[in-house]
Amino acid sequence: MEKTKIKTLQDLLRESANEYGDRVFIREKNGKEIAEKTFKRLYEDSCRLAGYICSEYSDVIHTAVIGNSGYAWLVSYFGTVCGGNACVPLDAQLPCNEICDLLNRADVSVFMYDKKYESMTDEIRQKCPNVKEFISFENDLSRILEENDPVELDEVSPGALASISYTSGTTGKSKGVMLLHRNLIDNAMCQDNESTADDVVLSILPIHHIYCFTCDILCSLRYGNQLCINDSMMRIAQNLKLFRPTIIMVVPMIAETIYKQIKAVSQAHPELPLRAIAQNVFGDRLTTIYSGGAYLPPELQKAYHEMGYQMGQGYGMTECSPRITTADRFDTECAGDVGIIVNGCQVKIEEGEIMVKSPSVMAGYYKDEAETAKALTADGWLRTGDLGYVDGKKLFITGRKKNLIILSNGENVSPEEIENKFAGTDFISEILVYSEDGMITAEIFPNGDFCKEMSAEEVEKLFENKVMEINNSMISAKNIRRLRIREKEFEKTTSKKIIRNQAEKGRIIK
Amino acid sequence: MFEKLKELIINYVEVDPENISPESRFIEDLGFNSYDFMSLLGDLEMEFDIMVDENEVVKLRTVGDAANYLESLYQ
Repeated sequence: MEKTKIKTLQDLLRESANEYGDRVFIREKNGKEIAEKTFKRLYEDSCRLAGYICSEYSDVIHTAVIGNSGYAWLVSYFGTVCGGNACVPLDAQLPCNEICDLLNRADVSVFMYDKKYESMTDEIRQKCPNVKEFISFENDLSRILEENDPVELDEVSPGALASISYTSGTTGKSKGVMLLHRNLIDNAMCQDNESTADDVVLSILPIHHIYCFTCDILCSLRYGNQLCINDSMMRIAQNLKLFRPTIIMVVPMIAETIYKQIKAVSQAHPELPLRAIAQNVFGDRLTTIYSGGAYLPPELQKAYHEMGYQMGQGYGMTECSPRITTADRFDTECAGDVGIIVNGCQVKIEEGEIMVKSPSVMAGYYKDEAETAKALTADGWLRTGDLGYVDGKKLFITGRKKNLIILSNGENVSPEEIENKFAGTDFISEILVYSEDGMITAEIFPNGDFCKEMSAEEVEKLFENKVMEINNSMISAKNIRRLRIREKEFEKTTSKKIIRNQAEKGRIIK
Repeated sequence: MFEKLKELIINYVEVDPENISPESRFIEDLGFNSYDFMSLLGDLEMEFDIMVDENEVVKLRTVGDAANYLESLYQ
């Protein structure tokens, strides 16, 4: 695909239809069958939806899309952005009250959803007066595509807003990252020769994550890959065998768990070569595994190289569309780096912090100038919040400046967000949330006055019940798994802020 | 169902089957990570030719919860 022709997502979709036309782009399960859609069909259906939205709404609008990865999700997204409107990809695991909050904050007019989320629509109608239209994938979208012809689209400006992607923030409230067409296109086009039209990609990660969206979806459109959809995290093993991909993108937890399973089989059957066991798990065509979302230990990378796979990791963030580095899949050194800096991306280190400047960097946070000013310098450098150094083209991460808890599955959890949920709880004087042994831990210093008539067991019970209540209001990845109670108050800084890294910890009660 | 679950659980985590009870929690007590747990459910789908509802998954915290849920799919 000629890179110079591609300035917007509309260009990418149109050129993929021109170049790969009737080849199959998407394969996804539909009951016991596998449904296939071509590159051309995706472009035409996106034009149909874009024409419908533009005819119904005279101004530029924001839509939101929620559902599993799949063709309907992609048509909803591209049908929005190819008509010059902006889309908010929502986390399918969020509870309804958080979805409503995001719909209001992002000024969404049209809500597009998989039928699994039908039950949310009543609450959304009540709480989100700006949402004017509800389009279900199954009924409404199918009808719109049937009733509308693909229209000739007006050109979209590369500087137009394409996505508002919500991401966890240190302040506890998620921030809407504004990504323009040119940001996403720069990130999808910054490297070359990453794959070919013969490659088959199994898309495993949630589609609202920018890592999945840019690297699985946009790069597959660019290179003409066939994109197979993993319909559930429960069925990765089955889908690897069914679709026999050549490339997969994973988070370290998946790579680690599959390796553990391969080793267990190898120990039980030492006569079998490791490569043969791995091929039984991954299918016989897999050549390349990309890892991202969290740090991949070099030993694991080496173990995969020894099994005959190309493997490497990249590093990025939603604010950078997301790639800052990418995996050098031919690099067998495994020096503990997080990949090589992508073309067109400048990296500098300021007071230990990694700073990035590139055409992929976001326009800012939606309606949040204060947070935007914290993240972007006046001359356009993005503060990543990560500490590290550069060696040649390789980037190394040494720690996180921010307090975000990164679980090994790549989920970002803001401790402040969880701590804020305990605000106003009468039996708690102070609380700190952190990661310990891979578990989210909540530690409290009880309010002595309130608890003076209570036994230790009664205080523990109150704490357990409160945690259970809070856990039930959050997605399971954010759930508090360990509880500690301390006798002494937390150590603090001179400005009376609790020091996050406490030398002494309270006793574990659960 | 509980016995079958125990058999599958030991494919994922190193734990003495004697120590698995209906009250055992997958993550906190048995040491599952979220991917192990989802894969176990995928195995159960294959083994029993059932479809697990992803919305129900978050409610399955203990081995007993999972056994009861699977039995309910059979009824």
